Amino acid sequence: MKAAAFSYVRPSTLAEACAILRADEDARLIAGGQTLAPMMAMRLARPSQLVDIARLPELAGVADAGDALVFGAAVRQAEAERSPLVAARLPLLAKALPWVGHQPTRSRGTIGGSVANADPAAEIPLVLATLGGAVDFMTCDGPGHIAAQDFFAGPMMTALPADAVLTAVRFPVWSTPVGVGFHEISARRSDFAYVSAAAQASFDEDGVCIACTLGLGGAAAVPTRLESVALKLAGRRMTDAEIAEALEEAVAALEIMTDSYASPEYRRRVAKELGARALRDARDSAPGSRP
Amino acid sequence: MSAPGEFRFVSRDRRVREDRRFVAGRGRYVADIERPGMLHVALVHSPHPAARILSIESQAALALPGVRLVLTGEQLAAAVEPLMNGLDTPHVQRYPMAVGQARYAGEWVAAVVADTRAIAEDAAELVEVAYEPLPFVIDAEEAYTPQSTPVHEKHGSNVLLDRTFVWGEVEEHFAQSDHKLALRVTWGRNSTVPIETFGVVASWDPWSDTLDVWASIQMPKYADQIARALRLPGNGVRVHYDVDVGGSYGVKRGIKHTVLVGHLSRLLNRPVRLIEDRLENMRSGDAHGPDRIFDVEVAFNSDGVVNSMKMRALDNAGAYAGRAPFQLGKPIGAIVGPYRIKSVRYQAVSVTSNKAAQEAVRGFGQAPTNYAIESMMDRVAAHVGIDRLEVRRRNFIGADEFPYLIPSGTRYDSGDYHTVMDKVLAHVEWPALLAERDRLRATGMLAGIGVAACLEPSGGNSSFEPLLNEKNNTTTWMESVRINVDALGTVSVMIHTTSSGQGHETLASTVVGEALGLDPDKIRVVRPDSLASLPGNSPVGSRMAIMMGGAAHLAAGKLIDKCKAIAAHQFGCADEAVDYASGSVIERATGRTLAWADLVGVAHRNHHLLPDGMQPGLEATHIYQVPNASELPVDGRIQMYPCHSFEFHMTLVAIDPILGKVEFRRYVIGHDCGVVINPHIVKGMTLGGIAHGIGAALMEEFVYGEDGQMMSQTFMDYLLPSSHEMPHVEIVHHCTPSPLTVLGQKGSGESGYLGAPAAVSGAINDAVAPLGLRFEKLPIRLTKISDAVAAASPKQDRTL
Repeated sequence: MKAAAFSYVRPSTLAEACAILRADEDARLIAGGQTLAPMMAMRLARPSQLVDIARLPELAGVADAGDALVFGAAVRQAEAERSPLVAARLPLLAKALPWVGHQPTRSRGTIGGSVANADPAAEIPLVLATLGGAVDFMTCDGPGHIAAQDFFAGPMMTALPADAVLTAVRFPVWSTPVGVGFHEISARRSDFAYVSAAAQASFDEDGVCIACTLGLGGAAAVPTRLESVALKLAGRRMTDAEIAEALEEAVAALEIMTDSYASPEYRRRVAKELGARALRDARDSAPGSRP
Repeated sequence: MSAPGEFRFVSRDRRVREDRRFVAGRGRYVADIERPGMLHVALVHSPHPAARILSIESQAALALPGVRLVLTGEQLAAAVEPLMNGLDTPHVQRYPMAVGQARYAGEWVAAVVADTRAIAEDAAELVEVAYEPLPFVIDAEEAYTPQSTPVHEKHGSNVLLDRTFVWGEVEEHFAQSDHKLALRVTWGRNSTVPIETFGVVASWDPWSDTLDVWASIQMPKYADQIARALRLPGNGVRVHYDVDVGGSYGVKRGIKHTVLVGHLSRLLNRPVRLIEDRLENMRSGDAHGPDRIFDVEVAFNSDGVVNSMKMRALDNAGAYAGRAPFQLGKPIGAIVGPYRIKSVRYQAVSVTSNKAAQEAVRGFGQAPTNYAIESMMDRVAAHVGIDRLEVRRRNFIGADEFPYLIPSGTRYDSGDYHTVMDKVLAHVEWPALLAERDRLRATGMLAGIGVAACLEPSGGNSSFEPLLNEKNNTTTWMESVRINVDALGTVSVMIHTTSSGQGHETLASTVVGEALGLDPDKIRVVRPDSLASLPGNSPVGSRMAIMMGGAAHLAAGKLIDKCKAIAAHQFGCADEAVDYASGSVIERATGRTLAWADLVGVAHRNHHLLPDGMQPGLEATHIYQVPNASELPVDGRIQMYPCHSFEFHMTLVAIDPILGKVEFRRYVIGHDCGVVINPHIVKGMTLGGIAHGIGAALMEEFVYGEDGQMMSQTFMDYLLPSSHEMPHVEIVHHCTPSPLTVLGQKGSGESGYLGAPAAVSGAINDAVAPLGLRFEKLPIRLTKISDAVAAASPKQDRTL
């Protein structure tokens, strides 16, 4: 469990980092290293050089853009977890963050790193997909932007160009007050989830749902927002029965992942259950809901 | 626990002296040992479960700068003796690395030595091995069939051991019983998986012809085995016992590792180090535990009284014999559990397969056996429609029946099972616990209560060795302690082993302090190296409280006798006329006193005041034989371990019927290990054992795929319970002293693990019983529970 030989560089600017990636296709970015370092130790990853972007000033800080919170890619998960801004403006992310790894891994792991890693069971990508966020990136050719639904391409695969540095992650903030729900199941606390579910909902003064969204992680190859559930529940009171009915079809249509940990039947059954629980929690914690 | 006031230091709430250095991160482990010019080893592993090794090409590896040597299994085998084989199976030969043929995926095929471990790993990737894949067998039942491919061709079959014992009138008891039932339960292959993997540093000194060894070991006769395998005289190996061992519970044996690096060090004249990485530890360290299928038939009356039991235990030993067959033998010493079962037929079958070899694991086979016995008792209770607790109560051996001779020849020393169970029931308020289970059920959860009553045989001898191998006539399993009082009057206690978390320094200082009436904190505990050590058998079989405690106490007694003789001579009275108390000797009639400093002074400096013929100095040694075990087996019967601790588990679990996740709502253990020497150590052992047992019940398993590859190679797949999964455990104490030991102490190193798997499994089965389900294979993963519940439930959607 010693990494194969590699070199290490710490560029001082984003442009420099982009140039290194352009010049060496085997170079890999490292920020928190909570996934990459163990992969290297097991020699499953063998980068020629590690480009450490953790201290790049361009990747730091959380900015409030009004309709979104914009996280610098190198913002540590622990920093986001402690942020009053995140708690106030992005309650869904705040609710999901304690489920990301363990406290020590969150002290190192970054928001951008988790998104770029695109583990189908990871919580931050799930929240990003559920809220319909986006990522910003930079290459030697200039900046770029990809919406979440186009970003996640498969397990550990993204639409990010090979020589790009992911620079920021944009989580939309709704203009109306929201309720949120987050559930996941794994063999042990903080293991990779067999299934996770994130939901957010907003209601008008009459208790009718203005907007809602539900995303599932772990169940399919990518974190998946169930558009049909949002469509079905908008304009309704989101009763338990309406939630269940909306989920029935949506989960049946999902292409479920198969592995040795859980049967596809398990994932489908639990996706339906946790999806319903997340939606009910979102409804029950939203101002104005009256199912 | 013992009555307060009986002891000054024993059983008292005293700090564990080892904790300071461990908590502060100041332990000294084998990886902390640095020797000048030390080289590092990495291994080349077989990718095949079975393959002939056609060639090994090491030129590319040797060309890498910093690489010193590539050694093949064949080269090593030519230079060393085969590793010790406990059974009489001469054709199941084992060397540190594969010779001619690899027998499991991950087996060591070649070793690379380099200036750093990283270079050694780089070079290991460059060693080219040509294999011819061979047929292989993974499943124990298939391996047991005559047509299966033998893992060791010369041996002729995969059967290492197939021995049937009949103790008592089994057929008669079966014929006379009202009811019979049969069950099969399966224990998945798990282990102890310590935080610190196995590590060893060996350093050959040609100028003194000595091999110095620092190793992360918990291994009886380790130095002897290394010397024998390396063809060195016994006094040519010096094992340093003063390294801390970061966890073991049985698995830290490391013979193959040590023979390899010992040989390399001699060959290269350099210190050589091998520290397993996690993958090597899990896949190639030969450190898995029992892997066992139990077929049980039981004969019982309508009142739930069990008369007789037939048990076949089929164990999948893996590629080499190792300790696996003996782990079928040790449970013979508690084959009826805490119950008055009159007769037993026991068939112990051990087969080879193309899995990694086993090593000793906490309880040495007793935890699986207890799981089988307790599953059986639950089934008996369900069959006769009598409460599980009542059935156990009716079958328990009574407190007035000890010493109790079980059919297989062991005498249980003491116990009070009824009282321990009653104390637990009172503690949990049994009716309230039942009501809580039913309340949970009414909310839509599955909820169940599990119980397990079982024994922890302790004081480890290895009577299973002569029982299973007629050529072995060993009846001695000693432990030694030496106490030396220096000329300044301070006390040092010599112990002759490594410790892997058992707290031997606390144990030895507490017992000696108690006996001498001196503050244990002022007593130094020293670990001489193996050449300066007295004979011992290391901490196995829950033996050290009994054995090291016994040796320490008896050595202290000799020291006291010497003090008394010195004082009596001074006083001009008989030795019998004086008493020893807290470092002083007092003449009973006159009250004249010789204080500690004076006693030490006479012993060290005033030969003219010593009784005639007495040696100067103040030193005592005791080599202590296991109590109650000096006989060879007769008619398949033998006295196994001398002492028997008892534990009674009770747990309430709630299970979300859709998610399948088992949540502990209550976990209580009633524990009786006789007189406790240090309560913190016993508590730690018990909590750790329960965590280990929860792992075995719910998540831990080394899984092999149909392709013969081990699938659970990392901690992402081999799931250890974490602090999140560990319930709050309530411990209910009871103390039935052992009549066989110096202070009434029994063992507790395996406590918790011996009953937790049975209790957790019982709770889950109680929870799913209303659905007509039963789980009979460990681990019971949450996805398995959910899938079974879904298949059993009437089609309905709870979200509607």
